[in-house]
Amino acid sequence: MKVQVKNLRKEFGKTVAVDDISFSFDAGHIFGFVGPNGAGKTTTMRIISTIEEATQGDVLLNGISVCEEPELARRAVGYVPDTLPAHADITVHEYLDFYARAYGLRGKKRKQAVEAIEEFTNVAGIREKHLKALSKGMKQRVSLGRALVYDPDVLVLDEPAAGLDPRARVELRELLLLLAERKKAILISSHILTELTEICNGVVIIERGKILETGTIEDVIKKSKPRRIVAIRLLEGNYHQNPQLLKELLQTPFVENARDVANEIHFDLTGDESAACDILGGLIAKKYKIIEFRQTKANLEDIFMNVTKGGVQ
Amino acid sequence: MADSTSSILARCKSHCVNWREWEFNPIVIKELRQAVRSWAVTGMLMLFLTVLLITSLALLVGQSVRVNEDVQLGVSMFQAFVIILAGASMMFIPLYIGIRVAAERVESSHDLLYVSTLTPGRIIRGKLYCGAYMALLFFSACMPFMAFTNLMRGVDLPSVFFILLFLFLVVCAANQIAIFLACLPLSRPFKILLALGGLFLSFWLMGELIASASGMMGLGLGSMMASRNFWIAALTVLVAGLIVTGLFHVLSVALISPPSANRARLPRLYITIIWLLGGLLNVAWVIRVEDPTLIMVWTMATLIILIFALLVVISNADDLGKRVRRDIPANRLKRLLVFPYYNGAASGLVWVSGMAASTFIFAQLVLTFGGTWYPTHYGMRGADREEFTLCTATTIIYALAYALTARFIHRKFFPKRPPQIAGLLTILLISLVAIGPGIVLFFLNQLSWKSIDGLQLGNIFNIYSIHEPSQQWSHLYVAVGWLGLMLAINAGWFLKQWRNFQPLRSSASED
Repeated sequence: MKVQVKNLRKEFGKTVAVDDISFSFDAGHIFGFVGPNGAGKTTTMRIISTIEEATQGDVLLNGISVCEEPELARRAVGYVPDTLPAHADITVHEYLDFYARAYGLRGKKRKQAVEAIEEFTNVAGIREKHLKALSKGMKQRVSLGRALVYDPDVLVLDEPAAGLDPRARVELRELLLLLAERKKAILISSHILTELTEICNGVVIIERGKILETGTIEDVIKKSKPRRIVAIRLLEGNYHQNPQLLKELLQTPFVENARDVANEIHFDLTGDESAACDILGGLIAKKYKIIEFRQTKANLEDIFMNVTKGGVQ
Repeated sequence: MADSTSSILARCKSHCVNWREWEFNPIVIKELRQAVRSWAVTGMLMLFLTVLLITSLALLVGQSVRVNEDVQLGVSMFQAFVIILAGASMMFIPLYIGIRVAAERVESSHDLLYVSTLTPGRIIRGKLYCGAYMALLFFSACMPFMAFTNLMRGVDLPSVFFILLFLFLVVCAANQIAIFLACLPLSRPFKILLALGGLFLSFWLMGELIASASGMMGLGLGSMMASRNFWIAALTVLVAGLIVTGLFHVLSVALISPPSANRARLPRLYITIIWLLGGLLNVAWVIRVEDPTLIMVWTMATLIILIFALLVVISNADDLGKRVRRDIPANRLKRLLVFPYYNGAASGLVWVSGMAASTFIFAQLVLTFGGTWYPTHYGMRGADREEFTLCTATTIIYALAYALTARFIHRKFFPKRPPQIAGLLTILLISLVAIGPGIVLFFLNQLSWKSIDGLQLGNIFNIYSIHEPSQQWSHLYVAVGWLGLMLAINAGWFLKQWRNFQPLRSSASED
């Protein structure tokens, strides 16, 4: 399964929510969709899921156009919206069974599909519980189960980790990795960027409806050249030297924004690696008892902060 | 065409071959499961049974302590049960169904309505069937009590079944209206207001229903059933009810269809078919009674429906999405024929104008030649016919002129606002012209309403309060002039809509 977003544009009256964006991802890939609030993420996801219609451009799911053949495309996409299921007077099992019926699964096939998805999403133990009585994490699992019950090839998840506790987040992450192993093409939007870095193969960064960066995480990091952050820790008992070290660093070339972060000194390195080497040598020569001098690895969060301006439309 | 026919045949064949896998509409199953678990439904059913039991006990105990035997105890009990049943089913079931639909229509919880392969028609039918099942549940709970009244005097079984069937159909119609109201894209306070309005409507309908049931029982329903006229009247009421329910059904389907779908097709097609059938039925009536003036019933009904439809079509957006355009035929003639049945204000105006003109011409033909066909029974004077012709023609021309003016104002001054503004502007303009001069004249003429009866050109309601032919002609001239001006102003926009009405080139061919 190949998902191709081609020159997508969506207008709401005079507002351009999505402005000529293109990207693609394949089966077995988890693609992160990142952007500030109002950037056009949900609109794009709704277009891919055939809920919304694009003003221009198209999305092809293995060559099937979501604009021209939405009925066919809908069967290939599982959409998990950012809202959780809130139906009254219905149990988890009945809810999943309803969606299996809605997607045309019949008889034994339906029963097997629902049971398999209950096992997979780990809701079998709560299948007779009412939806309203579930926690956020459990509702999110049910929502994911609903999107998976008819075994779609593409999964579109809009902020699935929002409001989940750390354990539920870890479990969701594991589920997504399992789904990627099962050759699902996954598009996921989230504000928890550190988590996306761990699970995503690729990323699209979008702001004001336009793509700022796209590609594999490694490529994006290389391309965007974010500021390198260096952390220095002094030997325990020498923290009183920190203010002095801060002053020292502020006068050193290639150092910007030096600050004290929980007994560590962090600064932005504007030079290359030999500059870092010179700084370290200089500090040791000045008798600072340095126990740790490390360059923190740039992650999605750094890239995001680097490339976005923080504006909303 | 051949492709679609063969695909329908293939689907029918597959249905027949795989009959073991036939299943209910998923919505019905889900809704009934929810209803079974709902405290509201269980509580209402328990309350209903308790009230029935207490009422029957009270009536029976009351009878036992009476000195004179009540020979009509069966009728009294039956009427009491009908009131309780109508109260429970007419007030509770539509409210329950409506609230369920409205809750699922909330913008944020779009998971049911759009994120599945269920069609909007299936969703609405599912809700309707669920309402019917719930009504059956209440009716079957009441049935033993009703059957018991047959053991008393004064009630015959055919009457019991007829009244129950009639009540059941009314409950189904009320459910459909509740679904329609719940589907309207309104905010919660407006929906609550609508629900209250719907409850008042149900209350009024219930009163009428009970009164007519009592009346029929009093006249001896069982004996009336033997007459042909009774069944003709019952069938007429049934067909009229079905038409109205069907209209609300197609409107509900259109309302929950995604904005990218051709929402206009189903309602416009339905109204066109009903208009055609209604016209044929009216002609049959004219021939049977030999009175051509009866064609006015169909003409006036069409006129009223078209004016309401005009307010809706003028609020349509102009842009046709890809999903709509993929169904547009490539052939120019075919495109011309299907144009009125596609989304858009321009196509809607063509549809309304076409229907209005056809109605008017046909009515005129029947009225003109009716005198020749049925000279002895022709009861309409020439002057009356002229007044009718002038009034109907002027009304629809005024309505079209107002709608086009509103559309022009929207396009020129509020292009960023949604197109629904045009519908509101039409109502506003009509009201302003109807009320504004009247108020000014009231103050100018020393607080007298007298002058309002005079000629007020542009006022759509004024046509019906004046009876001078010359004044009516003046209205017609003004209406035609205004419409002509609006057509000229809007010609560019209209032509643009027609030019945009093109089939979609597929992505593959674009590549």
